[in-house]
Amino acid sequence: MSQVLHPIEQKILKSLLERQNLTPEELTEKTQLSIDQVRRGIEWLKFKDLIQVNESERNFVMLGKRGNEALQNGLPERRLVNYLKSLPTFSCEINEAKDQLQNEFGPAIANAKKNGWMEIHENRIMLRGYHDHTSEEKIIKLIASKNSTMVSLDEIEDKDSLDLLKKRPEFLNFASTKYVTVSITEKGMAAAKNATSQITESVKRAIDVEAPAPVIFAARSHPLTDVIDEVREIFVSLGFAELVGNSIQSSFWNFDALFIPQDHPAREMQDTFYLKDISAKSVATPKQIKQVDMAHQNGWHYDWRLDAAKRMVLRTHTTCVTIKALADQKYDEARLFSIGRVFRNEKVSYKHLVEFNQVEGVVVGKNVTLQDLMGLQMEFYRKMGIKKAKFWPTFFPYTEPSLQSMIYNERLGKWVELFGMGIFRPEVTKPLGIKNPVLAWGGGIERIAMLRYGLDDVRELYNNKLGWLRSVPKCQ
Amino acid sequence: MPVVTLYFNRITKLLGSKVSREKITSTLPFLGLDIEDETSDYINVEYSPNRPDFSTDYGIVSSLQGLLGIKLGAPKLGIKKGNHVIKADASVAKVRPYIVAIEALNGKIDDETIRQIITMQEDLHNGIGRKRKKVSVGIHDLGKIKFPLVYKTVERTHRFIPLNSQDSMTISEILDKTETGLAYAHLLKENKKVPVIVDSAENTISFPPIINSNLTEVTTASRNLLIEVTATDKNAAEDALAVMAYTMQNAGFQLSSIRVSGPRNSTPILASRNMLLDPVLVKNTLGLDMPTSMVVKSLRKSRLDATVKSKKILCLVPRYRTDIFGPIDLVEEIALGYGIQNLEPTIPQAKSAGQKNKVTVSLEAIRSTMIGLGYSEVMNFGLAGKHTLYDLAKRDSSGMISVSDAKSQEHQILRDALLPGLIDVLSKNIHETYPQRIFEMGTAFYRGDPVGEEIHLACASAHNDVNYTEIKSILQSLLKSGFDITSTTKISNDPLFVQGRTADILIDDKKIGIVGELAPEALDNFKLRIPVAGFELNLTDLI
Repeated sequence: MSQVLHPIEQKILKSLLERQNLTPEELTEKTQLSIDQVRRGIEWLKFKDLIQVNESERNFVMLGKRGNEALQNGLPERRLVNYLKSLPTFSCEINEAKDQLQNEFGPAIANAKKNGWMEIHENRIMLRGYHDHTSEEKIIKLIASKNSTMVSLDEIEDKDSLDLLKKRPEFLNFASTKYVTVSITEKGMAAAKNATSQITESVKRAIDVEAPAPVIFAARSHPLTDVIDEVREIFVSLGFAELVGNSIQSSFWNFDALFIPQDHPAREMQDTFYLKDISAKSVATPKQIKQVDMAHQNGWHYDWRLDAAKRMVLRTHTTCVTIKALADQKYDEARLFSIGRVFRNEKVSYKHLVEFNQVEGVVVGKNVTLQDLMGLQMEFYRKMGIKKAKFWPTFFPYTEPSLQSMIYNERLGKWVELFGMGIFRPEVTKPLGIKNPVLAWGGGIERIAMLRYGLDDVRELYNNKLGWLRSVPKCQ
Repeated sequence: MPVVTLYFNRITKLLGSKVSREKITSTLPFLGLDIEDETSDYINVEYSPNRPDFSTDYGIVSSLQGLLGIKLGAPKLGIKKGNHVIKADASVAKVRPYIVAIEALNGKIDDETIRQIITMQEDLHNGIGRKRKKVSVGIHDLGKIKFPLVYKTVERTHRFIPLNSQDSMTISEILDKTETGLAYAHLLKENKKVPVIVDSAENTISFPPIINSNLTEVTTASRNLLIEVTATDKNAAEDALAVMAYTMQNAGFQLSSIRVSGPRNSTPILASRNMLLDPVLVKNTLGLDMPTSMVVKSLRKSRLDATVKSKKILCLVPRYRTDIFGPIDLVEEIALGYGIQNLEPTIPQAKSAGQKNKVTVSLEAIRSTMIGLGYSEVMNFGLAGKHTLYDLAKRDSSGMISVSDAKSQEHQILRDALLPGLIDVLSKNIHETYPQRIFEMGTAFYRGDPVGEEIHLACASAHNDVNYTEIKSILQSLLKSGFDITSTTKISNDPLFVQGRTADILIDDKKIGIVGELAPEALDNFKLRIPVAGFELNLTDLI
């Protein structure tokens, strides 16, 4: 994969392609970036091995005390030449010259002789010839010509002359400084070229903008979760508070508290899952137990048994959660709902699951009626986008009157059963100390999901086929 | 729910008035009957087990007549006083103490009538009879019987020719060899001696609650019938007898009483019950202020009798209406008689604020975090199979929580972990595009006091380059952005994971889960050919 470079990185690499070993300051000048940008870019590129950062030393030279005098007055030998030039004989006594040059006479005569400018004959110095500029003078001038007093040694090409001058004390001073320079690596060169060419290429080459792009899948919630969430939102919007309860319940709350006799066919093992060898230790308050016992004896004429009420079941409906909350709290007015898994010991088929989600709502109120229950249904269905609904009578052991709602499904072109509902029987509410009427309704959420997603087999909701989960539109 | 077949030609004849087929079909649901399927000849309807009188077309027609306004008020039961006697012996007290009976005379019986009566008998056995334990019903050809009858117990060596047999068999043989004997023998297993009804000619006519004799079999030639009911509860026995009596009367028979004597036994009366109803209850329950006359009319359409008595309504409930316990049941009858379709939905004012449960709110947040991390949600059952949960996943099954008598092996164990289910999901999707990243949140169960429930989150990532670091990053990120919690991981061992690449997830030194690369042997068991890494987290303390 070709590397993606930041514009800052690209500019730095481009400058380094033109010239290696640049300092950050030099890069700033070349790239027109700020020094901070350059420093950042250097860090990035160094990390990617595209550049190498070298710490190197630079040596500088500057004029010393004598060097400065020489700049003003000339080198001692030049002054000697100039003196001799001013004499008619172009010569003088050694002593005269010594007077003239004072303590610089030594170096003056030594260098003049070395340059072949003069010779000494019987205490007389005679000018033989001279050059207008010596290499040493050129170096002094060069150093002086620079803006800064310090001049990089790299800038002085005539190293031999420099060495000569160096040998003369106090003409030159030397200094050295540590410096960071940046150089481009081979990898960096490749990347720099690539980056350039990539931009140009991608701009130049036309692509098939109409061709399909590779498929990627958005992670998403399960479609059934979406339906559950929607149902929950509707309940909340209608002023209902959510109850959460356990999946495992004692038979007491799942059946007995709901006036379902202990020998009722629904309680048999072919319909209900009982836990093997596990019973509840306590199920309810002594008063609740006594009252429920009485209700069963009076209503069903049999000996109610506590041990049968202690058998643990996988709840067959969420009503066990609701009724316990109502029995414990004894609300005068309340709107509650719960959504949760319920279990039926059935053979799995296209329309039956052993475990499914049920939603249940209850309204407790002094003046609530069957017509209110029907009205709440209509309101709920309207929010679900269901336009046509009607009611038929039905039977549940713990509600009276009992109704079921039928809704019209456009896709199927027929009426389908949706929720069961009713008003809790007095045999349920009275023993538990619930004074006001309780409207209750509920049903399976999978049924709603099947209608929503157009499924004919309820098992499809749980077979977790990624092909389906990835293709169901989120907005429906 | 039980189903009854209604033939249109019979219904039309029984209704005694010209009613269109459409009218019949559209009225049935307003009696609480669900239409299962329909052909040109008949319609199958499901009825609730609390209405055993709906187990024949006679009973359904009786109610239809009310709703359609053909016949109103309670059907009257006409029972002629008869001379025949059944004597209950003291010996039955410990086995099946009660017997009641009635004669149905001068009827015409065709094959369909026999079929309807047998259906009703079965329904009474299963419903009121609680699978014959509480009540069983025998129907006999009266012509073959010599009164008086004796209801007594006999040894298991006692013999007679049971129904649908040519040969005489002992009680033991019947219980061991016949189909019904095998099905119901358990009801008598605590009794050495068993109950029988014998006639004065010493012929055994019935062996309740198992089988009748071959001698008294009902055929289309039978004109007069004996209906006997034996029970462990006298009230239930009379309920069942009442349902039979009303039905036989509707079928055109005349009823004649049979006197019953013996300890704790007596002749059944089958009288209607009086019930007083306050119209205020009607108004408060239905939300409808209907005039008393309308209340009375509605009750009569539901085939009940009603009269106004000093601002209250006195109802007469015929004995066969065993589903009516008290006034609230009468209110439903009024609603049905009035017509559910005539009620007007009203919307009550909310008096409380809606609110999601705290746990729900937390789970929603975790779900959206997982989705943000690129994981898709899947859903499995809490009730799992041992094979997936323990065998394939190589996990320890000693703490397993089972349910009794599950109909499917795939649903008999309460899951204690979610991760095996996720691997199972991956194994079912090997043909789908990778990477596959999935998670599930749900209930996991453990043995506690007596059984505890926790909410778990499990997640799995499957693709060629998956490794421990990837899944640990997800875990870290979830805990950080979900809860602002920093967890630690401590090397651990688990048969589901690769040794050296698995760790316990700790928060403040408390283990809340496990994370790692899945063991190749486990993946192999699930027929997965791609590496998988995952974690399982107990959310209970976090939310």
